[in-house]
Amino acid sequence: MAALRSLLVSAAVSETHPEVDARRMAEEARDRVRFEEEVLELADQAYRVARRLAPTQEEAEDLVQETFARAFRSWRQYQPGTNLRAWLFRILTNLNIDRGRKVQRTPDIQPMEEGDYYLYNRLEESGAAEDEDRVVERLSQDSIVEALAAVPHDFRDVVVLVDIGDFSYADAAQILDIPIGTVMSRLHRGRRNLKQALAEAAVTEAS
Amino acid sequence: MDPCDKCEDLLQPFLDRELTDAEREEAETHLDACGYCRKRYKFEESLRRYVVSACREPMPAELKAKLAALRTPL
Repeated sequence: MAALRSLLVSAAVSETHPEVDARRMAEEARDRVRFEEEVLELADQAYRVARRLAPTQEEAEDLVQETFARAFRSWRQYQPGTNLRAWLFRILTNLNIDRGRKVQRTPDIQPMEEGDYYLYNRLEESGAAEDEDRVVERLSQDSIVEALAAVPHDFRDVVVLVDIGDFSYADAAQILDIPIGTVMSRLHRGRRNLKQALAEAAVTEAS
Repeated sequence: MDPCDKCEDLLQPFLDRELTDAEREEAETHLDACGYCRKRYKFEESLRRYVVSACREPMPAELKAKLAALRTPL
């Protein structure tokens, strides 16, 4: 009886303010539309990153679709005013990991002899006295895509987020849920892997 | 430590704009005086742009339409 009474009372309360409920619903619908529009504006960026993380174009497309479906479903979990891009890319990278990408052996942690000037030095050696500004063009765009695909996953995630996604170290740390120091060391290794592969490709192409 | 080696170590965080003011000043002072390092910094900068442009791939129109269709119907 008490339960019934409280039910009647609460029904009466909400019935006395139907316009408040209607206004709240309209506001929510408007917020949702705006949220979905903002997320959709990030589609090109999401696709570019997904293409470098997923092994094939088809898988990249699936990954982007899953990401957006999940983002739209969980829009209430997004806190307005926080970094929407980081929020969306966190969904994307988590889904990519959940998709069961092939387990890789932890990459060798041998010390890498070559420093950051290595690739330039190699290119300079292989083609003396050329226009300085065009040294980079001796690398083909295909070789860059291939070299990036060969970088081990954990390192590549960071390189792709920072270099292609244009995220800060702090954002990448938040997205991948790893400490910022780990972002820096993986980025460092990943970029060196990339440059080593590019150096090898350039030498092979030249010979 | 050799100043060029030090400058080489600062290259990545320099371009990522993640150096402290003091570190950045140190790198800039060295770069002003050292053509060897300057060339390599310039190369790294253009390499980054080149990597970004190699990865600039338009999203298929069908995929874009599929994403738009995932929106909540009004």
